[in-house]
Amino acid sequence: MLLACVATVVATCVLAPLVTRLLGRSAGWILSIPLLAAAAGLIVLGSGTQHVPWMPTLGIGFDLRLDGLSLTFMLLVLLIGAAVLTYSSRYFAVGRHTRYFTLMTAFAAAMTMLVLANDVVLLFVSWELTTLCSFLLIARSGAKARRPAIRTLLVTAMGGLSLLGAVTTMAVATGTTQLSEIIADPMWQEDTAVASTVIALLAIAAFTKSAQFPFQAWLPDSMVAITPVSAYLHAAAMVKAGIYLLLRFSPAFSEVPLWNTMLITSGLITALLGAVAALRRYDLKELLAYSTISQLGLLVAMIGVGTPEAIKAATVHTVAHALFKSALFLFVGVIDHRAGTRDIRALTHMRIRMPVTLGAITISAASMAGLPPLLGFVSKESMFTAFVDAPATPWGPITITVAAAVASALTFAYSARIVMGARGHDPDGREVTEVRPAVWAAPSLAALAGLVLGLMPFTLDPLISGAATAATGTTVEAHLALWHGFNLPLLISALVITTGVLLVLARKKIQPVLLTYRLPFSALDVVEAILAGLARTGRVVSGWSSSTAPRLHLAMPVIVTIGIGTVGVLGLSGLPAIDGNASRPLDWVLVVLLAAGVIAAMMVSTRVGAVVVVGVVGFAMTLWFMSLGAADVALTQLLVEILTVTVMVLLLRRLPTDFKPTPLRRTLPSLVIAVAAGLTTTLGVWALTGRRSMSSAAEYYLTEGEGVTGGANVVNTILVDFRALDTLGELSVLGVAGIVIATLLRSRRPASARRIEIDENSPLADALDNSVFTRTLARLVGPLIVILSVFLLLRGHQEPGGGFIAALVGGAGFALIYLMSPTDDVRRIRLPYLALIGAGIVIGAGTGLFGLTEGSFLAPLHTEILGYKLTSALVFDVGVYLAVIGIVLSAFNLLGLPHPHERDAAHGFDEGDDGDDPHADAPQTPDHQEVTA
Amino acid sequence: MTLAITAGLLVMGAVYLLLKREMLRIVLGFVLLGHAANLVIMAAGGASRRDAPFGAPDDLSTVADPLPQAFVLTAIVIAFAITILMLVLAVTGRDQDDDTTVESDVDEEGRS
Repeated sequence: MLLACVATVVATCVLAPLVTRLLGRSAGWILSIPLLAAAAGLIVLGSGTQHVPWMPTLGIGFDLRLDGLSLTFMLLVLLIGAAVLTYSSRYFAVGRHTRYFTLMTAFAAAMTMLVLANDVVLLFVSWELTTLCSFLLIARSGAKARRPAIRTLLVTAMGGLSLLGAVTTMAVATGTTQLSEIIADPMWQEDTAVASTVIALLAIAAFTKSAQFPFQAWLPDSMVAITPVSAYLHAAAMVKAGIYLLLRFSPAFSEVPLWNTMLITSGLITALLGAVAALRRYDLKELLAYSTISQLGLLVAMIGVGTPEAIKAATVHTVAHALFKSALFLFVGVIDHRAGTRDIRALTHMRIRMPVTLGAITISAASMAGLPPLLGFVSKESMFTAFVDAPATPWGPITITVAAAVASALTFAYSARIVMGARGHDPDGREVTEVRPAVWAAPSLAALAGLVLGLMPFTLDPLISGAATAATGTTVEAHLALWHGFNLPLLISALVITTGVLLVLARKKIQPVLLTYRLPFSALDVVEAILAGLARTGRVVSGWSSSTAPRLHLAMPVIVTIGIGTVGVLGLSGLPAIDGNASRPLDWVLVVLLAAGVIAAMMVSTRVGAVVVVGVVGFAMTLWFMSLGAADVALTQLLVEILTVTVMVLLLRRLPTDFKPTPLRRTLPSLVIAVAAGLTTTLGVWALTGRRSMSSAAEYYLTEGEGVTGGANVVNTILVDFRALDTLGELSVLGVAGIVIATLLRSRRPASARRIEIDENSPLADALDNSVFTRTLARLVGPLIVILSVFLLLRGHQEPGGGFIAALVGGAGFALIYLMSPTDDVRRIRLPYLALIGAGIVIGAGTGLFGLTEGSFLAPLHTEILGYKLTSALVFDVGVYLAVIGIVLSAFNLLGLPHPHERDAAHGFDEGDDGDDPHADAPQTPDHQEVTA
Repeated sequence: MTLAITAGLLVMGAVYLLLKREMLRIVLGFVLLGHAANLVIMAAGGASRRDAPFGAPDDLSTVADPLPQAFVLTAIVIAFAITILMLVLAVTGRDQDDDTTVESDVDEEGRS
């Protein structure tokens, strides 16, 4: 049932685009119906909870709970929402206004979820949704609204972050995300540290939402939004979310001094600041915005006092405020609409003949001023009743009462200002007439409700009792009445009204004083300064990281890793013993060999030298893998090493021979970082590996692998049977790398090759004669290599070999063919390398698709032909073979051949620096044409 | 312990080369870093059992873990492709190998 109510509101939002398409602006009428229906449903329901699974593994549910407090706020959200929607249907010009209606109903839906949430995660998500809705609603009011909307978003999103912090802390501290359980947890009274953290975070969240000092700036700023939006934001939705949050958590924190201090202090400051600011405004809407701030300040202060009386007063005042503020906003919108202005100074020069509008404004303003017999009077009376009995928090009852009384007197003054400002009565002025009832009907109801409920406040008793009970955690019986007899609150009220009247009478003298008075800084400037500061910080930070030199970018992750390693070492304890004998005497030979290679690689000063010593390290790695029992890996490493060195040599001729010497001041920090990184690695590997027996996965592969796959080479079966998807992914990486290399070399011109100075008379100069031995050898060995390659491919499933190794052997064969050639401007192997890579991936994926017949992608298929076991894994391995051959060939062909630019130069398109192309005079062959094309 | 020391040495050399200006040295740094990473993966499988994993051995206590070997095998080939890619970047980049290349080219031509 509860879920049905929420679903109704959400469905309204979903259907809003459709309804507006059909009905245009009149959609407001239709869209308000489900909101009213949901409100009726909630009233009938009264209370209840509902659990809908959402993220069950995390214990987070779409939990809903209806109690007195949520019912009160729900009624405000839905009824005021419906009133605003019906008002909008005639307020706007004829048109669809799809976005407006969608966003407004979305806003109502977000508020519904927020108020009904019984899970703090749901609460947080809904909270953020209201922030987004209000941002979008403000931002759609045109270009002038952009800055205010962004400022609003920043302030409220910061509050959202604060709420996230609070929610996380609460969930971790109490071990549940259930809102009712969190509030009932006894730890808030016991663990003051955690309680204080949560209180501070919650208070900041609520203050940003409800525009409380020091976050009040966004609310008047957001007045650029259209009037119905402002009305909803101020009366029932956005700002009331903060009040709801505070009331909701009041049972847990109302006796923690920090809670009382923060709320009362901020609330009273806001009440006074807002009231003074309201008196200085001429724009009726802006005046109302400041009055909202001021009224919310009083509300926050009441919640801060936290006694049952105060909470009761707060709930009554929330209702009263929602009624008079929505009416005021909507009718100011009416005036604005008819008169074309809402500036008091302009309105005085008009003849406003709008009896309903002015009447409703007067009633509502009187309610705000706290005049009997309106609901505002009842709530102000309750407030003073609560304040005079406030417990002595940092601020005693006297201070609180006096501050609230002053704020109330100022409220009286600015309420009068609204009434007097709205009724322009210049007999010679432009005549402004009343709007149609369709527009004023709904807001008049709100204004009238303030009067009716003021006369019969006892009708609110059940609602207020329920709300106050929920917001205090103890049973509270509310007996609202207009007349309480002669007592202190009545005396204060009388004083407030008298002072208010005096302020109004003396307005001509007070106004100039108020206008000259000015804060040394405006809150908006502060927000803008913070924004500018953030942007500046962003620029500075990006400045650190925007260097084009790779070393900065590369150093950062290394340094962070060292940091993590250091923290890890400090926290090391209770390591399990090292499993077995992990070091063999022969290992030390490898360590020394590798150390020599690495140190040489660090010190070497020529490029050729660097390639050679890194090659040495690679061959030492081969030995390491051999020693670790990884035969396939060792073979792969060996072949890759050969091919890497070949490719590097192809490129070296395009690079200078020597590295430029680096000064010590640059070398030293690198050395320090390098040694630290090395130590971190050693410690990490020592501490974190080799301390357990064989993994269960390995045990499975070793005991079951051969039986399942029919292959004895366990590593190969893992590659092509068990984890073929990994291998297919890897083939794709190879393919992408091949394409990127080809694209790069076609679109960019590589550095030109160096001129090689060889004496014409030296035997070295004649390439054809010199390559005789290699060519002869290659003719003999070439076919053998091809056969070996195929042999390795076929036997891979049983013995060392497989697609990778076979392809690398084949690649080495091609390397030999390139080496034997006397010139390098002919493509020796005319296989389409990119197509090979593609074919490899297609074969691999195709085999996988066949596997679907066996139940899953890439599942291997087995058949037996003539007593010989065949498996689809072999076909897959052919795919691997082709892809790897493709990448090797593309490297040779793309890097080994002269670049097209260099060839153009040979044809006479001299581009200056191509003179050093050693092949400029090489004989042209038909192959050449093909490659260039 | 020997594996840990070797990996540490490789990382030291790798990081030192990564922090150099020349792209070739950075590429070589990545090659060394790849070696180190492969050794770390091998170490994760344990270095105390070193018999090559073939067939279905009766005694598992001396056979090496095949899973890291499969990972490392593919890693080597991917590293090969990436190394070539980085080498191509080294010769096609705007600053070519490093920002001192232009000067040294001039030097060389001056010498020759």
